[in-house]
Amino acid sequence: MKTRLITLCVNGKDYRFEVPHNRTLLQALRDDLKLTDVKYGCGSGECGGCTVLVNGKDSINSCLTLAAEMEGKHITTVGGMTKNGQLHPIQQAFIDAGAIQCGYCTPGMVMKTASILAHNPSPSEDEIRRGLEGNICRCTGYESIVRAVQKASQMMIDSECNCITGGSCQ
Amino acid sequence: MSEMTYIGKSVPKVDAMEKVTGQAIYAADLQLPGMLFGKIVRCWEYAHARVTHLDLSEAAKVPGVVKVLGPKDVTQKLYNCGVLDVMVPEDMGKHLLGDIEDQRIFTDHVRHQGDAICGIIAESETIAEAAAAKVIVTYEPLPVYLRAEESAKPGAFQFDERKPGNRAFQLPEQMFPGNAYGWGDVDAEMAKADLVVEETFYVPKVKQCQLEPHAYVALLDQRGRLNCWTSTQMPKPVQNKLSRLFEMPVSKLNLVSTTIGGGFGARLGMVFEPETCAMALAVPGRPVKVQSSREEDWVASESRHPGKYWMKMGFLKDGTPVAADAHFTSDAGAYFSHSSGVPFTTGSWLTGMYKYGAIRYKGDCYYTNQSPSGAFRGYGNPQTNFAMEQIVDRGCEKLGIDPVEWRKRWHKQAGDDGWCIGVPYSSCSLDECLDKGAAAFGWKEKRALYANQTGTKRRGVGVSVMNHTSGAMPMLLEHTTCTVKMNEDGSAVITIACSDLGTGSHTVLTQIAAETLGIPMEEIHLHINMDAAGFDIGSHASRTAYVGGGAVMKACQDVNLQIIERASNHLGLPAEELEIKDRHVVTKMRDFNKTKVPADHLRNTHWGIEASMSVKEICSTGIYHFVNPMTGEANGAPGQIQGYASHFPSHNSPPFGACFSEVEIDIETGQVRVVEMVIAHDIGRAINPSNVCGQLVGGAQQALGMTLTEEMHYSEKGLNLNNSFFDYKLFGPLDMPKLTTILVENPDPIAPYGLKSVGEAGPVNPVGATANAISHALGIMFTEAPITPEKILKAINEQGIA
Repeated sequence: MKTRLITLCVNGKDYRFEVPHNRTLLQALRDDLKLTDVKYGCGSGECGGCTVLVNGKDSINSCLTLAAEMEGKHITTVGGMTKNGQLHPIQQAFIDAGAIQCGYCTPGMVMKTASILAHNPSPSEDEIRRGLEGNICRCTGYESIVRAVQKASQMMIDSECNCITGGSCQ
Repeated sequence: MSEMTYIGKSVPKVDAMEKVTGQAIYAADLQLPGMLFGKIVRCWEYAHARVTHLDLSEAAKVPGVVKVLGPKDVTQKLYNCGVLDVMVPEDMGKHLLGDIEDQRIFTDHVRHQGDAICGIIAESETIAEAAAAKVIVTYEPLPVYLRAEESAKPGAFQFDERKPGNRAFQLPEQMFPGNAYGWGDVDAEMAKADLVVEETFYVPKVKQCQLEPHAYVALLDQRGRLNCWTSTQMPKPVQNKLSRLFEMPVSKLNLVSTTIGGGFGARLGMVFEPETCAMALAVPGRPVKVQSSREEDWVASESRHPGKYWMKMGFLKDGTPVAADAHFTSDAGAYFSHSSGVPFTTGSWLTGMYKYGAIRYKGDCYYTNQSPSGAFRGYGNPQTNFAMEQIVDRGCEKLGIDPVEWRKRWHKQAGDDGWCIGVPYSSCSLDECLDKGAAAFGWKEKRALYANQTGTKRRGVGVSVMNHTSGAMPMLLEHTTCTVKMNEDGSAVITIACSDLGTGSHTVLTQIAAETLGIPMEEIHLHINMDAAGFDIGSHASRTAYVGGGAVMKACQDVNLQIIERASNHLGLPAEELEIKDRHVVTKMRDFNKTKVPADHLRNTHWGIEASMSVKEICSTGIYHFVNPMTGEANGAPGQIQGYASHFPSHNSPPFGACFSEVEIDIETGQVRVVEMVIAHDIGRAINPSNVCGQLVGGAQQALGMTLTEEMHYSEKGLNLNNSFFDYKLFGPLDMPKLTTILVENPDPIAPYGLKSVGEAGPVNPVGATANAISHALGIMFTEAPITPEKILKAINEQGIA
């Protein structure tokens, strides 16, 4: 397999490394960079467990994305959301709303929420539910996750926080 | 209810921080030095075949392959991946359950798609996968059976010579005369009925779909111990089973519990621990990680028991359920696994629900070539709910009785025989659940409103009740051991083996400890270490808060007794006059003889002088115990305080619940929209209300899937047709109805802090309530789940609609 030298900015830090052309971003993050906060759930873009944020706005399934395509891009994982030890409002909202059970979908859910709010700071409940459609949770029945997104939206508006990525990609 | 500080509060989960920051370590996240990757090679082409030729030589040549393992390179011992045999006495297991060990680590007789045939250990996952593609294997196909009625036919291929007719299990005659569970003369009582309702239902094969696919790491270390990092729900029984399988002493096995990415029964017993450990034993000193793909998880691990559920209920005109007769014939799938458990409990939820005049339940299961059936949240209860609650509603409809009123009249109450005959229910608040639920839902109004509908969209409402258990006592062993170590600063470490599947049970255990010890949750740490912790049967049967919580409470009470005893000695006051308050041992009574109390332990309060000694001082001087060399005087009583409880609960304090469901059906497309649901749950006391509601709402998602969309489909050849989230339809965020949860809190007299379980209750009665709502909307009862648009349209076409 041919390889390519790429540079990725993950959570504000530059990584320069060689990847085979067929290596997915999920494999690159988990196996090469040891960023295990990104989760493998299905490997085929159906569960959203591996959701990461690209350039601070768009969410992607890292299992469906080739690492080589991400040259020069800013990637944010849930591990990059915490700034100076302070939880991002989205993370705090997930805790406050009781939206975390087994926690396996949580990293993807938090990043999906970041993307939803980056596109629309005050989404309606229906817009939230539509936004979460690609992320599966088998524990919560989604109710508490929807509340968490609403809460996060409110917290960010109240604190005039417009930093979706915890400031890791400035 | 006395005022509680930590109990009854929706405190954040103790593991929320690591989960929300991505720092929680699941098994697949482990990175150990020198780690190798194991690949379980599975048969994907056949559901039933014999391996006639297996050649691993080409696979072994792939650079980076460390070892290839065929069936004979690992133990040939038969095993059963379930753990029920650990929970009953050995003679009872052998006598009643018969031969239940029928699995091999790598097999030459493939009994279901995804059966493991060999293993590859390599330096990387990519290399292991490349080598797996080089395995040369030839199969001789065998006949495929997908349902019990096919494999039970005379002349069918025999899966196991010890199980004639492919019957893996039926309720054993020795314990269940006539192979039936129940009471009374069913035939005689049924003959008295004015109305008999009889139906045969089908309940589908449903997958747990926990989001974390099964992953493990194992290492045979330099000291000769086999270490296994696993997300099992049942660490201690799995340790026991692995020790039997590999014929190693229990002491040589060290299980490390990783964070569990959802369980729902999928991890109730061994899953791929045997294969992973076998690989680790082949490469001593090097850790081996096995990460299963979603597809592997789907076809090679267990599901809920599907099957045919025949049920007949006889009623008098006034609704009296004079008799019930039922037979659940389930598909065991390829291996025995839990085949003795589910066929029994499915009947126990049925017998435990209503005051039938007489009841006879039969349960059995047969081998098929589907993936093995096993434990799935509810353990037979969702299946029973689908059949029982629809039969009851049909009876009510024919007799013109309101379904809510009928249930209030005929459900079992406190004092009645429980799900396990001979163990009376300790409490029951189902009437309150039905009343509050019906009021919040608007039952009467909606029932009347939707009585005579026309048009394309038809609405309907349904109700369903349920009973469950808190722990498996007295059928199975119930035991948790807990130790509480008090540190010098008065903080505590709880050592216990209970797993937290994501339900929040570790949070609940910490709340119970905080309440009992009277110290803040932040100063209590739960230490989950299998070497350090005493026994725990595992997280099954909705037992962790109840049994684990009981153990924590008792061990903390033991600590309190020791603290009070030391204070009593030091202060010269009788222990009965002392209590722990605000981290101090203080006098209960105002009028004590203060002359005996050392002056430095007297303090002024707003009500006068009291004796007081800080818990911290007692704990600290027990550890830093100094004796003055000049005077010989000690600074306190010696010894670090540790509490201990080896807890065997005396009961199974049952939860009850009522669910109300409203659906809207498009009679032209067959599409069902679940509009609203109200779930009222008899929780005894909610230790953490937010967690309880999370269990109910999350459970509803699983129940709605079973009722409306979820089913594992197989081709004629027995190959799974929908082993992905794309093809297997789960309820998503847009599909979920408006949900209201009502917690009915009347503390159970036996339970620790009055709590009853909730975990398994969640996915039970939304099943019956939604099926009944559909029936109410269309006037057609659907006997096969999931009730898909295709089935609805077909029924409308065949039976017509008003």
